[in-house]
Amino acid sequence: MKDILRLKTSLAEEIEQELNAQVKQEATASAMYLAMASWCNSHGFVNSAEFFYQQSAEEREHMMKIFKYVNEVGGRAVSPDISNLIHDFDSLKSVFEQALEQEINNTQSINRIVDRCYKVKDYTTIKFLQWFLEEQMEEEKWARRALELLELIGSDGMGLYMVDKKILDLREKE
Amino acid sequence: MTISSDFKELFRTKSGCIYQCDKDLCFYVEFAGHLTPYKFACFLALKKLIDKIDLASMICNSENCCDMEIVNPCGSDRIYVLSLPQIIEFKELLAGGKAMLQLNSILKERLHVAMA
Repeated sequence: MKDILRLKTSLAEEIEQELNAQVKQEATASAMYLAMASWCNSHGFVNSAEFFYQQSAEEREHMMKIFKYVNEVGGRAVSPDISNLIHDFDSLKSVFEQALEQEINNTQSINRIVDRCYKVKDYTTIKFLQWFLEEQMEEEKWARRALELLELIGSDGMGLYMVDKKILDLREKE
Repeated sequence: MTISSDFKELFRTKSGCIYQCDKDLCFYVEFAGHLTPYKFACFLALKKLIDKIDLASMICNSENCCDMEIVNPCGSDRIYVLSLPQIIEFKELLAGGKAMLQLNSILKERLHVAMA
């Protein structure tokens, strides 16, 4: 009897579910960054807004990468449903705190998938996810650095203006 | 539609049977008096569809409309009108079929390793 399951897909069902959950997480992150960009724009932080526009586009690229991978290896990628986004923030600091938290969640989530892949011996997906782990290191670094800048420069007087000016430079220099 | 000699029995319960056809790489599901072909992706989608039916809320709801569930699987002309016991039986049949698919996959891999 032919092994139709293996002929049609190389992805275990549980890994497919995990990857689809990650697709949703990346899509949510992309949408959240858009909300952050909008808040920054409306509060005069134009460079921070640009930073979050770029972050949003990057998260969408991540989402698409996983989405296409699932389909390419014979799985079925699910277009995610996103709701309950936050659009209001207390301060620029809280925006970056939320961004860092989001990136940490993303890293932890990818780590969990890699762990599951080891359990089911899916080395192809592990290799695929390696790129994401390296990318997450960078993402977390930017978010941390932004919070460091807020601490170093402070939010009094010209502080916030200076922080906003430095945010975009930070990314371009990396 | 009748059972062809190309069909291989994958899993059987008292309420139905799932056959695999190596020639077309598809599955034939015999249930509620009908034999219906499903491509691989549609077979998995059918299982997900049936698994998603919330039996607990059907049992708790006293309205007549909640005694039945109408299921229209993708890639098929079949429409199932299922009673609560039928849903349980269908879940059992599809779960068994899926498990046999996975078992076949594991056996194939192990045999390949043993023969290498």
